[in-house]
Amino acid sequence: MSYLKIAQRNFWRNKRRTAITVSSIFFAVLFAVVMRSFQLGSYSLMIRNAIEQYYGYIRVQHPDFADDPSLENTFEFDQSLPETILRVPNVKAVTPRLETFSLASSGNITKGVLLLGIDPEAEKQFSNPEQFIVRYTISKNLTDISGMKPAFTDEVKRILGAHAGESFTDSVRLARIFDDHPIDAAQLNQILNLSRVQGRFITSNDSGVVISSSLANFLNIQVGDSLVMLSQGYQGTFAAGIYQVVGIVRMPNPDLDNRMVYMPLQLAQNFSNAHNLLSYMAVNLNDASDEALVAISNGLRKALAHTSLDVKTWQDLNRVLVQQIESSNQSGKAFLFLLYFVVFFGIFGTVIMMVHERMHEFGVLVAVGMQKIKLAITVLLEMLIMALIGVALGYLVGLPVIHYYHVHPIRLTGEMAKMMMDMGFEPLMPMAPFGSYVVWQGISVIFMVLLAYIYPARKILRLNTVSAIKR
Amino acid sequence: MAIIEVVNVDKIYNDSEVKVTALSNINLTIEKGEFTAIVGPSGSGKTTLLNLLGGLDSPTNGKIRVGDVWLNELKGSKLIDFRLRNIGFVFQSYNLIPVLTAGENVELIMQLQGVSARVRKQVAADMLVKVGLADRFASRPAKLSGGQQQRVAVARALASKPQFILADEPTANLDGKSAENLLQIMEHLNRNEGVTFIFSTHDQRVMNRARRVILLEDGRIKSDTLQ
Ligand SMILES: Nc1ncnc2c1ncn2[C@@H]1O[C@H](COP(=O)(O)OP(=O)(O)OP(=O)(O)O)[C@@H](O)[C@H]1O
Ligand SMILES: [Mg+2]
Repeated sequence: MSYLKIAQRNFWRNKRRTAITVSSIFFAVLFAVVMRSFQLGSYSLMIRNAIEQYYGYIRVQHPDFADDPSLENTFEFDQSLPETILRVPNVKAVTPRLETFSLASSGNITKGVLLLGIDPEAEKQFSNPEQFIVRYTISKNLTDISGMKPAFTDEVKRILGAHAGESFTDSVRLARIFDDHPIDAAQLNQILNLSRVQGRFITSNDSGVVISSSLANFLNIQVGDSLVMLSQGYQGTFAAGIYQVVGIVRMPNPDLDNRMVYMPLQLAQNFSNAHNLLSYMAVNLNDASDEALVAISNGLRKALAHTSLDVKTWQDLNRVLVQQIESSNQSGKAFLFLLYFVVFFGIFGTVIMMVHERMHEFGVLVAVGMQKIKLAITVLLEMLIMALIGVALGYLVGLPVIHYYHVHPIRLTGEMAKMMMDMGFEPLMPMAPFGSYVVWQGISVIFMVLLAYIYPARKILRLNTVSAIKR
Repeated sequence: MAIIEVVNVDKIYNDSEVKVTALSNINLTIEKGEFTAIVGPSGSGKTTLLNLLGGLDSPTNGKIRVGDVWLNELKGSKLIDFRLRNIGFVFQSYNLIPVLTAGENVELIMQLQGVSARVRKQVAADMLVKVGLADRFASRPAKLSGGQQQRVAVARALASKPQFILADEPTANLDGKSAENLLQIMEHLNRNEGVTFIFSTHDQRVMNRARRVILLEDGRIKSDTLQ
């Protein structure tokens, strides 16, 4: 008859009470793990979107570029620079960019754009914009095309109308707009055929440009059309040019998708009269953890000490995103705290019930000679068994859930999706994979149980045997 | 030497607004092998006296010796350990741990004493035989009648090999037949194995079986008779 066995027996003693305790622990852990996983998953998606599609983890740039990202704060490219950067441990790749604000027009529509002069080969190691090349665009007059067999139903027309002008990188993504309204396979094929877009990414010595899909939609531009670019060049010169759009990319980050124009580096330098000048070198890393980021940026600073260049991390460059994440993280944590608070009182309530029900029994045990500390330990074991079972069940259900939604992120639709996109985020809700946060939820709940244990522990250690027996 | 010696003991409850003198100037010795009843009207101090003899509570004045130990010299865990090794207890009701079987309840006290598992099991079975419950080793208390539960409590007290067993109204919650049965077992143990019993009771029939009757009234010993 070990104490563990007594504890085990007590576990089954009051089944309803045990069920309440275990299930509140179970739901707390499940809820906390899933919620936290969603939060962390969306943070890392936000970061990944921003960094990988555009910012880069680290940038080497002119010291004044951060405050005033104009062509005046550029620097001369020197072949030794990428070599120096690549020698720093954990640096995976480096790419040169020239970046400037420009006006882009087509017909009588004009829009401010982000002109990014890139080295298309080197860029593959970074944002790899080539992967976003658009293969399908739903044309605005698709629903007017006659001779459709079978004819479009009103519902299909409505969906096509709602997505008119939208571009897709592959047929699967396009087909997804009919998720809520299954469509005839033959009809889908017709739609795909009518929406097909030719297009390619730019090469190093290209004379054309690639633009993002929302921008193309806004300017009413298709592959093969011309784009007029107007800007202020280096040292106040006038910059202008006409470029053929050779491809369209759909950037997952909606903010970028609204205003991106990719140009080969040299073409961009010519356009803005910034010959051999760069805005920054973007650096990609093997290990993107916060610690590595600090270590590598310090390494870069040391390696570049002889130059006048500055090293900035994505966090330095992206204060807004960092703050957004931080404040969301804070409120997420506050919510978890509240959850644990509620769970604590749930557990505490059952513990109080348990103690009062068993006061007489405790009195008898101490009277016949059980040391209070031993009694306190058996009760601790009891509570820990419940806690561990609750936590284990929470993990058992929670881990497959987060794994599943990590691999198959939830894609938001409708208003929610629009809201996310308006804020500049991809309308995806991926979950973070297993991580220390999972362990912490379990530890937090067990901590709540230990906190609740203070009550029986005190009751037992201060037990007055005579009055306990009397009851 | 007497196994219990009570010297000039008063017990005054002072915790509420009114001061209650539960026991007043008690002097008493109990010898090994006694079968003694403490009787008296409700509120006369029977439970209080048994609690003091058992080291569950301490006197306001005076002192109590059990064996060769003055109880006032023991505190906290030492006192608990002293009870474990020297005193058997049977309470009025709900003596047993509901999640343990009858046998395990008896074993538990020996486990607390550090007796090995093999010996424990054997002794627990023997003790249940002594109280006529040989076949109820594996029964949970809820499956036993009130009288059977009290007999398991006696078996548990016996298993700890105490100097004496204190029983506060052990028959109060039992019907006549069960009470009679319990008493017979106690008497038998007393007569044949020399187990010392000190029990309190209201019940005239129980009283009649005692060999010594100590009558309390208003916290004083009114009479102390051998019969
Ligand atoms: N914890 C306490 N605080 C205050 N007074 C108490 C306390 N315990 C007992 N008393 C009082 O002490 C006196 C003796 O009580 P005790 O319980 O010893 O009587 P008893 O003879 O066992 O009575 P009963 O036959 O009803 O069990 C009573 O007046 C009772 O009210
Ligand atoms: Mg009493």
